[in-house]
Amino acid sequence: MQAYSLDQPERLRAHLALQHHVYEVRGDGQGGQHWELVSARDFTAFEPAAEPPPFSAKSFFFAERELLFRFDGGQFYSTLPAVEPQVLFGLHACDLQAVAYQDRFFAEDPHYQARRQATLLVGVDCLHSCEGGFCSIVGSGPAVREQRADLILVPRQDHATDWLLLVASEAGHAALRGLRLPEATADWQAERSANQVCVAEEQGPQQEIVDGIVSLNAGKIDAETWEALGLRCLGCSGCTTECPTCSCYAPQDRLNAPASMQRERVWDSCLYQGFQQEASGHNPSATPGQRVQRFWSHKFGDGFKAQFEAYGCVGCGRCDRVCPGGIGVHGVMQRVVHHD
Amino acid sequence: MRVVPSICTFCGVGCGLGLRVEDGRVIGVEPQPGHPVSQGQLCSKGWATSFAIDPYKRLTQPMIKEHGHFRPASWDEALGRVAEEFRSALDEQGPAGVGVISCARATNEDNYAAQKFARAVLKTHNIDHCARICHSPSVAGLARTLGSGAMSNSIADIDQADLILVIGADVTENHAMIGARMLRAQARGATLVVVDPRKTRLARLADIHLQVRLGSNIALLNGLLQIIFANGWENRAFIDSRCEDIQPLRQHLAGLTPEQTSAATGVTVAELQRLAFLYSHAKAAFTAYGMGITQFQSGTNNVIAVSNLVLVCGQIGRPGTGINPLRGQNNVQGACDMGCLPNVYPGYQAVSDPAVQARFAAAWATELPQAPGLTSQGMLKAAQHGDFRALMIMGEDPLLTDPDQNQVARAFAALDFLVVVELSLTETAKCADVLLPAAAFAEKDGTFTNCERRVQRIRQAIAAPGLARGDWQILAELAVRLGYPGMAWADAEALFAEMAALTPAFSAISYPALDANHGLQWPCDAAHPQGSPILHEHSFPLGRGRLLPVTQVPPDECPDAEYPFAMTTHRLHFHYGGGSMTRKSPLLERETPAGLLFMHPDDGETLGLLNHQGVRVSSRRGYLETRVQLTDDVPVGTLAMPYHFQEAPCNRLTNDAQDPISKMPELKACAVRVEPLPPDQAPSAQAGSREVDHASL
Amino acid sequence: MIDLTPRKLLLLDHYADGEEARHFSLRIDKPLAGDLAVIPGQFFMLTVPGFGEAPFTYLSLPDQQGRFNALVRRMGALTQGLFEQPVGAVLGYRGPFGKGWPLFFCAHRVLVVAGGCGLVPLAGVIDEASQHRLPLQLSVIYGARHSAAQVLGRERERWRQTLRFMETCDEAKPLERQGSPLDHFDELFAAEAPEAVLCCGPEALMLATAEASLQRGIAAHKIWLSLERRMHCADGLCGHCYLGTEYVCKDGPTYRYDRYLQVRGAGYPTATKQDQRLC
Repeated sequence: MQAYSLDQPERLRAHLALQHHVYEVRGDGQGGQHWELVSARDFTAFEPAAEPPPFSAKSFFFAERELLFRFDGGQFYSTLPAVEPQVLFGLHACDLQAVAYQDRFFAEDPHYQARRQATLLVGVDCLHSCEGGFCSIVGSGPAVREQRADLILVPRQDHATDWLLLVASEAGHAALRGLRLPEATADWQAERSANQVCVAEEQGPQQEIVDGIVSLNAGKIDAETWEALGLRCLGCSGCTTECPTCSCYAPQDRLNAPASMQRERVWDSCLYQGFQQEASGHNPSATPGQRVQRFWSHKFGDGFKAQFEAYGCVGCGRCDRVCPGGIGVHGVMQRVVHHD
Repeated sequence: MRVVPSICTFCGVGCGLGLRVEDGRVIGVEPQPGHPVSQGQLCSKGWATSFAIDPYKRLTQPMIKEHGHFRPASWDEALGRVAEEFRSALDEQGPAGVGVISCARATNEDNYAAQKFARAVLKTHNIDHCARICHSPSVAGLARTLGSGAMSNSIADIDQADLILVIGADVTENHAMIGARMLRAQARGATLVVVDPRKTRLARLADIHLQVRLGSNIALLNGLLQIIFANGWENRAFIDSRCEDIQPLRQHLAGLTPEQTSAATGVTVAELQRLAFLYSHAKAAFTAYGMGITQFQSGTNNVIAVSNLVLVCGQIGRPGTGINPLRGQNNVQGACDMGCLPNVYPGYQAVSDPAVQARFAAAWATELPQAPGLTSQGMLKAAQHGDFRALMIMGEDPLLTDPDQNQVARAFAALDFLVVVELSLTETAKCADVLLPAAAFAEKDGTFTNCERRVQRIRQAIAAPGLARGDWQILAELAVRLGYPGMAWADAEALFAEMAALTPAFSAISYPALDANHGLQWPCDAAHPQGSPILHEHSFPLGRGRLLPVTQVPPDECPDAEYPFAMTTHRLHFHYGGGSMTRKSPLLERETPAGLLFMHPDDGETLGLLNHQGVRVSSRRGYLETRVQLTDDVPVGTLAMPYHFQEAPCNRLTNDAQDPISKMPELKACAVRVEPLPPDQAPSAQAGSREVDHASL
Repeated sequence: MIDLTPRKLLLLDHYADGEEARHFSLRIDKPLAGDLAVIPGQFFMLTVPGFGEAPFTYLSLPDQQGRFNALVRRMGALTQGLFEQPVGAVLGYRGPFGKGWPLFFCAHRVLVVAGGCGLVPLAGVIDEASQHRLPLQLSVIYGARHSAAQVLGRERERWRQTLRFMETCDEAKPLERQGSPLDHFDELFAAEAPEAVLCCGPEALMLATAEASLQRGIAAHKIWLSLERRMHCADGLCGHCYLGTEYVCKDGPTYRYDRYLQVRGAGYPTATKQDQRLC
């Protein structure tokens, strides 16, 4: 990778904003963080979020409401989203790993790909672990992997020093055209490795996660344990909504006028009782425990890992924060290991 | 894409959410991580917000009914018609014959406007809303014992409790973020106790579940107090310093024995003693209750019984304690606070107080009525007697949510004129003569007040669909047509400012102050500029707390040979009220069949019923058809039905026997009979709906 | 890229066929080459505008003009909506999807076990065999709740002429065979033991059939079943039809029994009480 020294990430952001819609996560001053459109004239300091925002990059590509087609009574008309070139600025390694996971899952989905192919990804390495993260355990971070982003920002332990900018793709290289940057002189590989060690130490051994994955794949978790967890699942859909790799959806048909209609797809959740229920009433995953088991097996099961060459969990910890029943990833793994 | 901060509308908890807006449409929501109530979480209803307010199937223009059919009309024509009908009703019957049922889902601003419209324009105190059927006994009962009917503490106090007592509330389903907080408290070591005839999720997860017999709350609470007195476990220091004479209550309970209590409630003596010990010895006990206390003909006395227990043990006025009624609708607290009750002006200022009357008359520059007003049920009863002519209903669906549906339908049919302000064509809306399209919460500015008295801002994120307008704008326009100019506010903030100036508990609240915090908890005045998370720290509004002896009253209608089952009503996690919003989500609508009767498997076996078989359920007031779900959530002999579904409206069966003090109908208990339908026959939504169909013509 | 947009499908005709069930004749507007390459046991997605989209199996395979048949039982809102459509109505079509029945396998004597509407996905195979286009000697046992609930009246009439077709009802009338298909296995196997079994019906019946066949010496890799699942996209994306690590819409709906067991277990092994005792 080519490495540059970057005095101000805001300069890069403004440069990209000349040709793209640039989105960045900003705090709302009340404890919330949201993706916001940033203009080329916006020089607000770039501060990578210390905690993952509730929404990852997922909704930019796998839209929460996506129009699929219209029907006018006689013909069906496909619709594809018209997406202006856009930049997601400042994505953490965990969320970029999730984008890669979904790129693979939705490789043949025209709606996803239309949005994805219009997007340049600018990643940022983490110097410190977020509160509930465990990227070092599932191998998704804290350093952005080369194939996961187009450009990678590396902050420095010494805040007074310039940032590093790594060029990770052809598109990233092309996007820098017109921006003059000096080549980096620092030993950035060594710095990144040191950062990784630091974050891994902060995250600790996370033994319950490591042991929980083993138990889950060894089939050591009995149905009673899953049902006990299921009793704590309110079926809110918060985990599947915020999970950056969750991808289930449902169709929603709407009659517009007599004989004309449109179909949208909307995010769905495998934790709903009705998710698999058939018209006959038969339900292959009738109990909450079965559904909770399904969710976690999808994230940590060896069978899925073999298909995707990665866990479905990127270690961001959003499920822990959003679950009212206390059965996010740490909650589940602690109970699973404890019961074992 | 932008995110507009707002407040969830699906219950009284008041969770913070961000509306995700794209191309003028709310496409989803985000939780607010920093929100003091919801702490970055939401329930299934909150997550489904975008479907609930979608323009699809919304009312987008005013409608006038002619020959049994609605036709579109302009605002000018529709409002002209409404004004004309109210004017002629006033001419014929006087102010006693008109009224307004306001809305516990609408903003404080809308509710303030509604009661001002009733009082200043229609000159009547006939103004009420659905608090009548959820927490009117809390308002009445706690007014008698403490002097204030709201939650005494904050939701965050759960974090500091070492015992949490939940009576008659299905918290994880209906106030999910409070339920979640209770589970977190339990995980850090607090003892969780649930008193409920049903095995709710929280009951199954609790440390102690007392599965009391339906309608035996006072027997249980009195029994606990008797054990506490007998063992000397009462908090004497608190009683001496904070309460009035305790002797009448002591004497009232002196003759009782734990065995009698056990026989009356179905709870073992050992369990009673354990709870009495734990509750009275807890450093901080957080007491919460819901409609399992209030929706009885003894609702007010049930609340007083809870209050007695809390006062005797001194579990109030400190962090982690309190008596905490969990409010149902997102702004039912606010609708009460705003004076949408026949007996009080905003801030619970009594209509009967001449000084209050004079102050409002001066502020509103008009004469105000002297005659007492009617409750919502009172208005409907008067309509049936021919004494009530014209009614406005804002955003409520009494045909689905009030007791004895056929009686409500007869009352609607007896009205000369019904105008309904609504988002969509609800069952009640179908009965209207004029239908006015309202803006949803994402389409207007205003405030909601959650159950812990927290006033929070909502902000307009998108335009209302079609011609829909905000409720207070509609009322202001009508006021002008009826000759009253005093409701022409520039915006919601100006309206709020007028209200705050007249309402002492809100006097230090303004939009900027609300924006700077995550809302403020009233009372918020010069003495409490940052609001009041905990009430009654040093004294009660009445001065000393009152311990009022109350006696167990059985439900008005108990099972007998003809109607052998006790039936109670409840709510499901996935739906809200009459389902007019939540049922628009394809995901929530998929979760449950449209109508369910929960029955213990032993009862199912006795009746020879298969799971999901169709049944006809009858009470003395009507019948319906639905499907049975066999589950040990309910005890043998007791059935439960959710009230969200127009296809199987359980309130066609319920009893309108009322609490004499609060006029709360006994929605929680009636007697029914169950007859199986043939195994292949699907239940019919039309069965038993004749009177309702007639009312919509 | 996949295409989630339906193509135009015309409702040509229909007639009542069994309890709450109808036999529909449909025509794909402007059929493509792929439309003619349908294998029995595959399915298509039918859109009823305003009511949604759901999977159905082909009762007969599309011909050169795109005409084919389907049998639909009234179950929910979508099928109710379909029953209300007039002849000539424009519907939506996507397909074919999934894996069909194996048509050439190392077995000559094949037993077909069908329950209720499970006869429909098997109809193509039975048709092919009865017209001697497949080198199979087929025996069919068809179970239904009672005779009024039986479907494919005209097809059964035809099949009875050309192959061994046994019918049984849970609630039998006099002279009718009584009980579940499994109740007649001894008789079926005694006559001429099959070498392979194809089964379609309620999941419980299929699993019981598979176990009963295993017990009678048929290897798991010679038993096939067809799963019903809630399907929305049919392209393995929406997630609803998961079975272990697979999606039934792509990997199925027909499964070889040994493969079914493997897939079902692969996603998420669970300890049973017995496993724990062994530990």
